[in-house]
Amino acid sequence: MLPQADTRRLVDRILTLVHATKGAAGMVAVRSTREGNTRFAVNEITSTGDVERLSISLTVQFGQRSASATTNQVDDRSIDDLVGRALRMARLAPENPEQMPLLGRQAYLTPKDPADPATAKLTPDARAKAVGAALAAADAAKVAIAGFVEHGSQSVMLATSEGLSASHTWTSCGMSCTARTPDGTGSGWAGLGGHRIASIDAAALANTAVTKATSSARPHKLDPGRYTVILEPAAVASLLSFLIGAFNARRADEGRSFFARKRPGDALFPADITLRSDPTDVPLGASPFDSEGFPLAPTKWIDKGTLTGLPYSRFWARKQGKPPTGQPTGWTLDGGTASQAELIKGVARGVLITRFWYLRPLDPQTLLTTGLTRDGVYLIENGRISHPVTNFRFNESPVQMLARCDGLGLPEIPSGGEGSGVRVPALRTHEFNLASISEAV
Amino acid sequence: MKLSRRSFLTGSSAGALALFAGPRLGAARGLLTEPRLDELVKRALEAATKAGASYADVRVVRIRSENISTREDRVERVASNEDYGVGVRVIAGGAWGFAATPSVTAADAERAARDAVAIAKANAPLMKRPVTLAPVPANVDVWQTPLIKDPFKIPLEDKAEILLAINREAMKVPGVKFVTSQFAAAAEWKLLASTDGAYIEQEVVRLGPGYAVTAVDDKRGEFETREFQLPPRQAGWEYVEGSSMLADARRIGEEAVEKLKAPSVAPGKKDLILDPSNLWLTIHESIGHTTELDRALGYEANYAGTSFATPDQRGKLQIGAPFLTFYADKTTPGGLATCGYDDDGVATQKWNLIENGVLVSYQTTREQAGWIGEKASRGTCYADSYGSFPFQRMPNVSLAPGPRERSIDELIAATDDGIVIAGRGSWSIDHQRLNFQFGGQAFWEVKRGKKTRMLRDVAYQANTIEFWHACDAIGGPKSWFMGGTLTDGKGEPGQINSVSHGCPPARFRQINILNTNRRTA
Repeated sequence: MLPQADTRRLVDRILTLVHATKGAAGMVAVRSTREGNTRFAVNEITSTGDVERLSISLTVQFGQRSASATTNQVDDRSIDDLVGRALRMARLAPENPEQMPLLGRQAYLTPKDPADPATAKLTPDARAKAVGAALAAADAAKVAIAGFVEHGSQSVMLATSEGLSASHTWTSCGMSCTARTPDGTGSGWAGLGGHRIASIDAAALANTAVTKATSSARPHKLDPGRYTVILEPAAVASLLSFLIGAFNARRADEGRSFFARKRPGDALFPADITLRSDPTDVPLGASPFDSEGFPLAPTKWIDKGTLTGLPYSRFWARKQGKPPTGQPTGWTLDGGTASQAELIKGVARGVLITRFWYLRPLDPQTLLTTGLTRDGVYLIENGRISHPVTNFRFNESPVQMLARCDGLGLPEIPSGGEGSGVRVPALRTHEFNLASISEAV
Repeated sequence: MKLSRRSFLTGSSAGALALFAGPRLGAARGLLTEPRLDELVKRALEAATKAGASYADVRVVRIRSENISTREDRVERVASNEDYGVGVRVIAGGAWGFAATPSVTAADAERAARDAVAIAKANAPLMKRPVTLAPVPANVDVWQTPLIKDPFKIPLEDKAEILLAINREAMKVPGVKFVTSQFAAAAEWKLLASTDGAYIEQEVVRLGPGYAVTAVDDKRGEFETREFQLPPRQAGWEYVEGSSMLADARRIGEEAVEKLKAPSVAPGKKDLILDPSNLWLTIHESIGHTTELDRALGYEANYAGTSFATPDQRGKLQIGAPFLTFYADKTTPGGLATCGYDDDGVATQKWNLIENGVLVSYQTTREQAGWIGEKASRGTCYADSYGSFPFQRMPNVSLAPGPRERSIDELIAATDDGIVIAGRGSWSIDHQRLNFQFGGQAFWEVKRGKKTRMLRDVAYQANTIEFWHACDAIGGPKSWFMGGTLTDGKGEPGQINSVSHGCPPARFRQINILNTNRRTA
């Protein structure tokens, strides 16, 4: 990774070059990462790598004209070329009346210990050891296993010619694995993310996946229909991402969003639903500022079931006479205290779902979404898991998922699926539309 | 376009290092401009071999991209990106290792080579079968996208103006409230060299413009969007200039408004006529991914899933009607996955995956060929950047047209009660590629051989095998059309791949049509 002092010199050099051009303002963003990963399948390691990446991005403004250029080379010629490209394109770009001036100096919240040294310097041997634990669990149970271990260290430095200076360094890591029975009828999954590798227990994750694989084998057929469902965190995270993506004041004001015609104060969900963002949420890899360097604040967007507001960009806030919020990061759906057994208890007939796959929007107005269950689906009868059942395609909205929710478990950070990077609990909801059977295992 | 480089460079026999020397090939557009890379490649391969690698390859990759996006009467974003670096992949102790850096110097490439070997050695004790590669000739060559006008040399204003002109045309339609349009171009230059004697330079140029028109009914609080995509291609700017994307803008705007006023579809079984602008994606999902060998054998189980079409069913599994032949082809002109050689250094080719409706073959790499008893790779290895590990990626996979000419209008005329779908809408398929559900951009009711009116809220849901068996008619050679995507995802960490799919229009009998309207719920 590029050392902090070198990054600072690079940023200063670029801004000096921009300053030398009359009428130009500039914002520089330098992102530097070092990532390591090991992938495994059919009970052995299949691919692996340690990769360094760098991105140096310059946005130049001439009044209402603007353009961006990016390179990953730090030599003088490449930097001169970067600045030249951005200046040339910005002069040629048509004027954008919505363009906001670059930000000056800002004050930011300080996350506590966002970079974990052990995660940053994890070795290939340590990754292989984690994989070895997963392979051992699968070999002992005579099932096939596939999975992924990853860790990374990232830093970003932002600066503008108007005096803004922001930087943030953090680590992230995750592991997920999928076990499959030799007869091809059972499949199980487990995955967790965070910022400290010590928080990830490879053997425990593998054992969960193996147990799910064996317990989901030889599934019974269950008719499609509307069911009470217990969604494990990975399933919740993937469907919830469509609601999180709809938090945008402009699209709502323009009448093309689920939130169109909704107002702060509207009670949308039960009182135990609180959805918030926190730029100091270290395990989620949240950032104290957004891509423009705008300072982010912890915000409850849904507070006890009630909509409190929507995120405003700087332009839309000015136009609508509202305070800007920046682009939120670090999303959490607050959980409750229920264990999985407690969520299942009291369900006369329902379905327990491990995770979803291939979610796609069907209707942006209602947030109706389609997708499939996978890696462990079970029928619940009279408060207990009865037997495994086939997979389903669902057609359901995250809005209805939350509106009909009446039980929340402990939150966690799933990793490796379609809903990574958020903290969510398992939840119980009702009338969930399992629309057709999927024969996939 | 292959430009022979054999007369300029002296290749070595397989297993030995190539001798990297010789004059530049001046006629090749933008290629062979950095002689210092010969030294870098040589030193990286030597460092890997010295550290204990039984095989090594080096990729030096430069990706330039340009993106312009607009909405209504303004340009929202203009961006130009460059990404450059070197990645070294090795086999040591029977295991893969890989390391990459954006610092393109001989010293850092050597460091990456040694790191890659160290990683391979860390992994070796957990290997149950050593990685073995199918043999390949020591290819030394140059390949580049044939084009007339380099899109990176077209003035920015010209590109922005065509997008703004599209927006103006669409906004003239009463009821249209929003338009967004965008243009993307990418040039991927890659130098691949290996200890098996490959020394190959390639440059692939891809373009992908498109737009989306939204009509809003403020009184009812409803909206509909009609997206239009000029199929992304390997091409020059002449492809955009010669297209009808501007001329079509008014019609696309009118379809957005008509769609908003259209009746919601009545669900149930109906005959389905799929325009190639919709069908290409169904082929991508249900046939393209299904015939990836790594997926079929469980190598993608943790993320993208497996496949119902396992190798033990090769030559036996009837996936669709007997007149359907699907072929893989990394040589199709303009195809997004087309190139001269894959990232294993294997010359690209065309072959059948499904013949007369029966599964006959797979997409393979050098590592994978032996897994199903084949002696040579099909040449489908690809890495999306210098920092990405090369693995099996989809070639262009297409449905061959029927032998006799037949247009989509003839399919409609021969249909009593059906729905026509055009454009790419929502798409989702299960992790063994069986249960799928697709939408579209524009839907028309067909009654007694005629398109009667537009519909909205349409999705079709089927099982892959039942769906392709329900196909009873396809268009002829002149109706064949190639769609594609620039961003097909696979693998962990995720990589993208650009891939095209050609097909004629086709009719499917009694398919399950869903209504996706929950507005009144």
